[in-house]
Amino acid sequence: MATEKNVYHIGKPFAAMDDDVMRPIEAFPTKLWWGAFSLSALAALIGVWTIIYSFVVGLGIFAINNPVGWGFFIVNFVFWVGIGHAGTLISAILYLFRQKWRTSINRAAEAMTIFAVIVAAIFPLIHVGRPWFVYWLFPYPNERGPLWSNFRSPLLWDLFAISTYFSVSLIFWYMGLIPDFATLRDRFERFKAKSKVGNFLLQVKGITYRALALGWVGSAKTWHHYEKMVMLLSALATPLVLSVHTIVSFDFATSVIPGWHATIFPPYFVAGAIYSGFAMVMTLMIITREVFKLKEYITMKHLENMAIVILVTGMMVSFAYTVEFVMAAYSASHIEQYAFINRLKGPFAWAFWIMFTCNVVSPHFMWFKKLRTNIKVLFVISIVVNIGMWFERFVIVIISLHRDYLPSSWDSYDPTWADYAVTVGAFGIFFTLFLMFIRTIPSIALAEVKADEANAALSQSHGAAGGH
Amino acid sequence: MLSIAEIKRGLFSYEEASRGFIASFKDPAHLLKAAEKTKQANVKSFDCYTPCPIHGLDHAMGLHRSWIPALTFVGGILAGMLGLGYMYFIDAINWPIVYGGKPFFAWPSYVPVLFELTIYFAAVFTVVAVLVLGKLGKISRKVPAPGVTSDIFAIWLGDANLTKSDVERILSGLPAEIQEIKP
Repeated sequence: MATEKNVYHIGKPFAAMDDDVMRPIEAFPTKLWWGAFSLSALAALIGVWTIIYSFVVGLGIFAINNPVGWGFFIVNFVFWVGIGHAGTLISAILYLFRQKWRTSINRAAEAMTIFAVIVAAIFPLIHVGRPWFVYWLFPYPNERGPLWSNFRSPLLWDLFAISTYFSVSLIFWYMGLIPDFATLRDRFERFKAKSKVGNFLLQVKGITYRALALGWVGSAKTWHHYEKMVMLLSALATPLVLSVHTIVSFDFATSVIPGWHATIFPPYFVAGAIYSGFAMVMTLMIITREVFKLKEYITMKHLENMAIVILVTGMMVSFAYTVEFVMAAYSASHIEQYAFINRLKGPFAWAFWIMFTCNVVSPHFMWFKKLRTNIKVLFVISIVVNIGMWFERFVIVIISLHRDYLPSSWDSYDPTWADYAVTVGAFGIFFTLFLMFIRTIPSIALAEVKADEANAALSQSHGAAGGH
Repeated sequence: MLSIAEIKRGLFSYEEASRGFIASFKDPAHLLKAAEKTKQANVKSFDCYTPCPIHGLDHAMGLHRSWIPALTFVGGILAGMLGLGYMYFIDAINWPIVYGGKPFFAWPSYVPVLFELTIYFAAVFTVVAVLVLGKLGKISRKVPAPGVTSDIFAIWLGDANLTKSDVERILSGLPAEIQEIKP
C-alpha cells in the first residue's frame, strides 16, 4: 500500500490542482490545439459530406458487393466499438479492483468510450441503406401490422447492446462529472472579462456549467448516496465490457461463413477490444499530457501500466489467432481449412501479414522496461497496435466473406473513394469530439483525485482506524 | 426491524442550509472530528460540505446506510420482468411466427436482450434515485460556504435553538472559521 500511495501521490494543494486541471478550459486554446482541431474537423467534414451524399445517391458509391456485403462499414463498426471498451474497463473494472492508477485517466478514457460508440453507431446507420427508417429496429407498437422486430436475431441483440452501452456509459460519465462541473461553476463566478462580449461569453459558460452541475454543493448526505451509485454503476458497467463485444461477435459467430462460425469469437473479440482500446487511450493520454501540461497527473507509471495491459491482451489476441488456425486444421473440413489458407496466401494476404506484424510482434517490445517507459516508443506502438487491430477486422470481414463455399460465388473487394472517405471521416469525428471535450470539460476527474489524496493523508495520520 | 420513519429518514435526509451556522476547515481530519462532536452534542439538523468524498464521514455523522442499492435492484428486476413479458406478448400472443421450427416463446434467444434491458434500467433507476434523494436539480442553489467545491471542508449546524456560543463550544479545540447564515 505504502509504495503505491507514493507513486500516485500528487502532493499539491487542492486549489492548485483546480488551476492545473481547469486551465485548458479557462485559457484561450494554443496554436497546437487549433491546428489539431482544424485538421480533424476537416476530416470530419469530408466524412459527413460523404455520408450525406450516400443518403442522396444511395449505397452504390461504396464497394460493397454480393459476397462482401459488409465491407468497410462493419470493419469500422467493430473497430470503433472495440476502442470504447478500454474506457469502461478503466472506469468500472479497475474501480472495483481498487486500482488507484485509474483515477487520473478515467475521465478522458470514458469520454473516448462515448465518442467511439457514437462513431461506431454511424456505420450500421449508413449500412442499413435507408437510415430514415432506422427507428423500425425498435420494438414499439406500430401501424405496420404491427411489424415487430425479431428478438432471435443477433443483429437486434447488437442494437440493444450498443444502445445500452452508450446510455449507461453516458450517464456514468455525466454523474461522475457533476462535482467537477460544480467546481467549474464556482470558479466562473469569480471571473471578469475586459470587454462586453467577453463578459457575455463568460456568463453563457457560467450558466451552462451551473445548469450541468445540477445544484451540487458537495453535501455529505449527497456524497453518501453518490458513492454508492459509483460503485453500483461500476458493477453494472462491468458485465457490459464483456457483453457488448461478445454480442458483436455473435453477429459473426452465429452465421455459417467459414472463419466466422467459431466458439472462440466472444473471448477473442473482448480481448481484442481491450487491446485496441488501451492502445487508443495511450495515444490520447500521451497527447493530452504533453499538450496540456498534465504530467503530474498522467505520469510515466500510468503509461507503463497501460503498456503492460497492452502486452497481456496482445498475447491473448495472438493466442486466439493461433487457436483459430489450430481449430481449422483439426476440423477436417476442407472449406474451413481453405478459409485460413486463403488468409495466409490469398489475394488479401498482405492484410493478414500487416495484422500479424502489428498485433503479434509489436506488443513484445513492452517486455523491456526501457522501452515501455519511453514516451516515443509507447506513442509509436500504440498507433501500430491500432493499425493492426483495424486490419484484424479487415481480415475477419473481407477475407472471410470474399471466398466462402462455392468458387462460383467468390468475388473480390475493391474499396472506393467513398469507403476511404467515411473511414477517414470517422477518425475526424472522433478526434474533433475529443478535442472539444478537452476544451470544455475537466479532462481529469478532479473530485476523485482529491478523494485519493485526502483519504491517503487521513489514513496516514489516523493509522488504519481512519479508513472505512 | 426498520420502522417507516427510519426508512423515510434514511431516504430523505438532505436539508437545505438556509439558517444556523457554517464552520469551515482546511483539513478533512478536523471536519471528521467536528462531525463526531456535533453528533455527540445531539444536534439534529447538520450536514457537511466537502470537495470530495471523505472516508468515514458518513459514520462520523451517523448517516443511515444508503438505500440506493435496493432501488437499483428493484429497477433491474422490474425491467427484466417487463421485458420478458413484452417479448412473450410480441412473439407468442400478438404476432406468432415460426422461426426455424422453434417454439413461439423461445426464451434462450431473449437472454441477451433481457440482460441489456436489466442493466439499462438498473442504471437508470440508480441515477434517478441519486438525483431525487440527493435533491439534485435545483440549479439556483448556492454553496453554503465559499470554496467547498475546491479546498474547504465545512460543517453546517442548523438547529433552531443554537447560538454562536453553542457552536463555538461544540467545536472547541478545532481551528474552525464560524459564520452565521442570514436567511
